[in-house]
Amino acid sequence: MKKHPLLLIAATVIATLATVHSMGCGAARSARSIAAEKVYVAPGELDRYYGFLSGGQSGSVFVVGIPSGRLIREIPVFEPRAAYGYAMNESDPRRQELVDTGGVWGDTHHPVLSETDGVPNGKYLWINDLANGRLARIRLDYFEADRIVKIPNLQGAHGIAVVSPNTKYIVVNGEFEQPTDGLATNPAPYTSVVAFVDPDSMQVKFEVRVNGNIDIADTSKDGRYSFSTVYNLEQGKDMGGMIQFDRDAVAAIDIAAAEKAVAAAKGEVRNQVPILDPDQNPGVLTLIPVPKNPHGINVTPDGKYAIASGKLSPTVTIIDAHTLKIVAEPEVGLGPLHTTFDDRGNAFTSLFLDSQVVKWNIDKAVKGAPDYIVDRINVHYNIGHLQAVGGDHMHPYGDYLLALNKLSKDQYVPVGPDLPENQEIIDISGEKMKMLASFPTPPEPHDATFMPVSALRPLVHQTYTPAADAVQAGKERIVRTGPNAVSVDMTLIRSAYTPETVEVREGDQVTLKITNVETIRDMTHGFALPDHNLNIALPPGYTKTITFNAGKPGVYWFYCTNFCSALHLEMRGRMVVQPKNSTVTLTDWHAAENVKGVVAGVPSTGAEK
Amino acid sequence: MTVRLQTSDFRLYVAAALLTAAALAVPLWGFSMSAPQYPDETLYLRVVRGGIAGDVHEVETLQQYIGVRFPTSLPELQLAVRVIAGLAALLGVAAFVGRGTPGRVFRWITVGVFAAFLAGSAAAVQARLYQVGHDRDRSAPIRAVRDFTPPIVGPVKVGNFTVWSFPHVGAAMLLMAAVLSTKAAASRPEA
Repeated sequence: MKKHPLLLIAATVIATLATVHSMGCGAARSARSIAAEKVYVAPGELDRYYGFLSGGQSGSVFVVGIPSGRLIREIPVFEPRAAYGYAMNESDPRRQELVDTGGVWGDTHHPVLSETDGVPNGKYLWINDLANGRLARIRLDYFEADRIVKIPNLQGAHGIAVVSPNTKYIVVNGEFEQPTDGLATNPAPYTSVVAFVDPDSMQVKFEVRVNGNIDIADTSKDGRYSFSTVYNLEQGKDMGGMIQFDRDAVAAIDIAAAEKAVAAAKGEVRNQVPILDPDQNPGVLTLIPVPKNPHGINVTPDGKYAIASGKLSPTVTIIDAHTLKIVAEPEVGLGPLHTTFDDRGNAFTSLFLDSQVVKWNIDKAVKGAPDYIVDRINVHYNIGHLQAVGGDHMHPYGDYLLALNKLSKDQYVPVGPDLPENQEIIDISGEKMKMLASFPTPPEPHDATFMPVSALRPLVHQTYTPAADAVQAGKERIVRTGPNAVSVDMTLIRSAYTPETVEVREGDQVTLKITNVETIRDMTHGFALPDHNLNIALPPGYTKTITFNAGKPGVYWFYCTNFCSALHLEMRGRMVVQPKNSTVTLTDWHAAENVKGVVAGVPSTGAEK
Repeated sequence: MTVRLQTSDFRLYVAAALLTAAALAVPLWGFSMSAPQYPDETLYLRVVRGGIAGDVHEVETLQQYIGVRFPTSLPELQLAVRVIAGLAALLGVAAFVGRGTPGRVFRWITVGVFAAFLAGSAAAVQARLYQVGHDRDRSAPIRAVRDFTPPIVGPVKVGNFTVWSFPHVGAAMLLMAAVLSTKAAASRPEA
C-alpha cells in the first residue's frame, strides 16, 4: 500500500504533539505530587511545628499544624466560647476580668512567644487586643489564657514584641493617639505611648511617649532597643491628613536609658505608670526617618539590621540595629508590609499590592548590588503578614513560610458574600520559592509565630492536676448556705454526675463547684444546663465554680456536651426547681450517707426560713 | 557437730532466701490492657504485696460498662505473702543445716514446699481470673462482651481491650529462688 507523504507528515506531527502533551501532563502531576508530599502528614503522624495564628476579630488564637495546615485548636482569649465553657458565665472570674478590662470581645493581631537566648522556650504566648488596649498571656503548658490586663494610657494596643533575648519585657505599641491630658475636649496635640510590660507580673513598668500612630514592634536581639514604626507624625485626624509628610519614622527606644530615667523618677506618673517624655529625657528615644506611613519592622535573626517595610513606598529601609543609621533603602515591589528571614541571609517581604512574596538577599541589598532580588512568588491575595518558621527569632529554620492573605476571592468554593481568609504555605528551602498548599481560616489571622513540636510537645500537659479545692469522689454534697443560697459540690466521670439530682427552690442562687475526676487524657466532660445560658467544659482533673439563678420552677436536665463514652447520652442529671411557695422540705445531701442508702442531713425549708 | 555445706551451696541458699524475701518488695503479677483508643497509654495493673496497684482508677471506671467486679479483697494474696515470708526463712535455715541426712531431708522438704506453693499460686491466680471473667454484673450496660477467662500467662480479648496476664519481677525472682534451692538440694557432696 502506497502512503501519501502528506498523511505521513500529519501522522508524525500528531504523534509528536501527543508525546509532548503527555510528557507535559506527567511533569505537572509530578510537581503537584512533590508539593503534596512536603505538606502531607499521614493520619497518626504529627506536624513538625506548632503554628500560632492570631484570630483577629475572633478574639482568639488559632493553633495550626505546620506543614499540614490542620487547625488543631482555637484558644479563646478575649471572647467567650461556649464550646470550651470559656468565660461564659457571669460569675466566671475570667469573664469578670474581660468585662473589667474592656468587654467580651477583642481583636487579636500579634502572637509572640517567650524567649530564652533568642529562641522560644515554650512558656508563654502573648497576644494583643487592638480594640480595647489589652494584653493577654497564654500558658503553653495548658494552652489557656492565663492573664488579661488593660494597658493604661493608650488606645489601640497594636504591635507587640518580646524583648530579646530573654523576655525582659513585652513591648506594646499604642496606635490611636490620645489628648496628652487624657481629656476628650483637648484638641491637639495628641500623643501615644509605647508600654513596657513585665512578663511575670503583667504590670506595665513604664511607658515612653511617642507622637504619632505607633504601629508594629520588634526589638534588637541584644535587648538594647525596641523598634516601633510610627506613622502620621503630622498628627492628622483623617486619612488625607495622615499622609502629608514625606517621611515618618522608626522609633528606637533605648531600654536601659529608659529604665535609668524611670529609676531617677523622671517620668510623670499616670494611672500608676511612669510615662517618660523623650523631650525631657534625651537619649531614650531616637526617631529614624523612613518613607511615610511605614508598616512592619523586623530585626534580622543575627541582630544586625532592623528592616522597616515601606507600605506606600516600594522600598524597605535597612537600619543598622546598633548604630541606628540607615544603611540601604532598596526597592522590593508594591506595598511592602512585613519581612521575615531564612537561615541563609535572605529576607522575604510581603507585597500587599503586588500580591507577592519577594525574596531578596540582605548583604547584596546593603552593598548596593543590583541582583539583590532572588525570587518572587504570587500569593492569593493581598498578603498582610508573612512569617518563616523561626524567622522572628534568632534561629530560623529556613524551610516553610506562611503567607497570611487578606482576600481569598476564587480560592475556595463560594460560601456566600463573606469569604474565608486564605493562608498559604510556601517552601523556602531552595533558591526558588515553591507554593505548597493553602488552608482557609475564620476571620482573621494577622500574624503568626511557630515553635518546633519537638521542643514544645514535652512541656504540654494533657490532664489537670486537681486543684487543692477540687471536689473529691465520695465528698459530693448539696448544702443550703442561706435562705436563698445553695452550694453544690459535684463530680463527674464516665458516665454520671454525682449528685445526679439537685433540688433547689425558685429564687435560689446556686453555687456549683464541679470537678472532672477523670485521670485519663482527652476525657473532657461538659455540663450544659438548659434554659440557663450555661455550658461548662471540664477537661480531666479540672474544677470550675459558677453561680447562677435557679430560674423558673421546673425540671431541667443537665447533660454532657462532650461526647465521652458508650453511655454519653445517658450522662445527665436533673435540677429540680421547686416553686417559691412550695411546702416541700429540701434536705441537704452528702454523698457518703447516700452511698449507704440514707439521705440524711439538716432539713431546711429554703425560702420560707 | 554437723559438717557444713559446701560454700557454693551455702551461697545458693543465701541467694535464694534473699531473692524470695525481695520478691515481696516488687510486683508479683501484672496485667496490661490495650485498646485502640488508648494509644501509647496501655493500662497496667500490678499485684503487689498490699493488693492491686497501677491504673486502678481508670480500670474501675471502665469495668462498669461490662459488669466486671474489681476484687475488693484478695485473701489468697495475704496468705501468699505470709507463705513467701516463711519460705524465705526456710531457705535461710537450709543454708545452715548440715550435710547429713536430716539436713538433706530438710532441704528437700523446702524444695517440696516451694514447688507446692508455686503450683498452688498458679492455681489460685487462674481461679481468680476465671472468677473475674465470669462473676459479672448481668445488668451491666454493654451486653456484647461474653464471659472470658484470661490465661495465667498470655492474652485474652475483652471487648475492645486486649488483656495480657504475665508474671512480674517478683514471680520471676521466686521462680529463680526455686531453681537455685533445688540445685543446692540436689548437689552431691564431694568426697
